[in-house]
Amino acid sequence: MQIDNNHDNIELTLPINAAYVSAVRLTASSIAYRMGFEIDCIEDIKSAVSEACTFIIKKIPKQHAIDNSFKIIFDLKNDSIEILIKLVRAVEFVDFENEMSLLVLKALVDSLDVDISGNKLTSLKLTKLKKENILETLEG
Amino acid sequence: MEFSIESNYDVSKNGWEVIMAGEIDIFNSEQLKSSLLKLINEKGKNLYLDCAKLTFIDSTALGALVGVLKNVKQGGGDIYINSLKPNLTKLFKITNLDKVFIIEVN
Repeated sequence: MQIDNNHDNIELTLPINAAYVSAVRLTASSIAYRMGFEIDCIEDIKSAVSEACTFIIKKIPKQHAIDNSFKIIFDLKNDSIEILIKLVRAVEFVDFENEMSLLVLKALVDSLDVDISGNKLTSLKLTKLKKENILETLEG
Repeated sequence: MEFSIESNYDVSKNGWEVIMAGEIDIFNSEQLKSSLLKLINEKGKNLYLDCAKLTFIDSTALGALVGVLKNVKQGGGDIYINSLKPNLTKLFKITNLDKVFIIEVN
């Protein structure tokens, strides 16, 4: 059974701790399933949100991880899901490129916006379209 | 689901058959690496990873496997991966690691 209202907004706030990444995955796959995404797309969403959290946890300097947290905001739309992963306090990151988690992430979603101000990462936004909408986009 | 491994030494294959189950991510990928390194440091040259019960891996798990592969290759062995689910095969392809490991299709 699918949800009727596809304009809901679901927000999680989590400590920057690797132990909770599985909870984000579980939430993401549950939401995507209820939205009617196909199984392979659900797997992509699950992996993508996990990689986004992993990227942040790996890249954030340890002293900035304490007393900081990230918000994961699931924005449910008729044709897609947008997932915003946002640090509560923006942090200076180093070496954004050549990161396997970003490589995987880019390949799994339809769009990825990395919001960097100066060297500070504020958020990552992932968008995954439902398959029928990808076809419509391709048809023009 | 937590991650677990079961291992059996196969003399004829000169290596370990390892059944991996559950999810491997940033939380437990180091555990995967140390468990596999412990096996290969004990005896044998090759690792045969049965992934039929493996439901999730991420880039840190792939990184851990690459680290183990370097050790295995130094000893003249290889890592054979079989029974990967399609979503996991996809990650090996995205990262081109399907050309680095020996992925066996059943």
